[in-house]
Amino acid sequence: MATQIVMNHSGDTRHVFDANDANALLEAERRFKELTGAGFTAAIRTASGEPAVTHKFDPTAEETLFFPRLVGG
Amino acid sequence: MFENLPRNPKIRMIRCFLTDTLRRARAIRDWYQELGYTETEMRGIKLLREWLSPEQLVQFHRFRYFDVTGCHSGKTYRYVTVRERISGNLTDLGYPKAGWCFVPNEPLVPGDVMLAQKISLETDEWTALAVAKSFRPI
Repeated sequence: MATQIVMNHSGDTRHVFDANDANALLEAERRFKELTGAGFTAAIRTASGEPAVTHKFDPTAEETLFFPRLVGG
Repeated sequence: MFENLPRNPKIRMIRCFLTDTLRRARAIRDWYQELGYTETEMRGIKLLREWLSPEQLVQFHRFRYFDVTGCHSGKTYRYVTVRERISGNLTDLGYPKAGWCFVPNEPLVPGDVMLAQKISLETDEWTALAVAKSFRPI
């Protein structure tokens, strides 16, 4: 199972989906585009565990983290 | 208590491992609750811990801060505090009097804020610093 984690005011919202299910993948891709289109940054972890920002939906990613746009504080 | 454990050594070992893991998880939860974190804040801290490198995790547990290396400059940044408004302040260790502050444009719990900042510095340092506001740490 793969997970998309979206940060929000309540901590985060998790969307778990079966990466082998074509419909679930389409829905996950739609969510990816919607969030990144709204300014969220998508990050995944590489095989070595380091974070990497991705601009394209990766159907093989086990976990994708979305966080809002950063601004000067 | 141990006389109730099954005789099969493998099952016994697994049960002991699970009991120990559960005990540690409860201890960590109690520790954060003692520090005054809400359930929501604890979720943020849990997510942050999952994404920290082993070295950062050790630092975070021991000192309540962790260092991040910028992907472009190779500079080391340190989160000077975990909670509330100054959770986004970073201190450049090479220049102790320089600090930067940048935060997500939506309200997030402190752990999430720190994680977003960490990933930004480790993957796109220049862009993160371009939007950051500088300050002089006291």
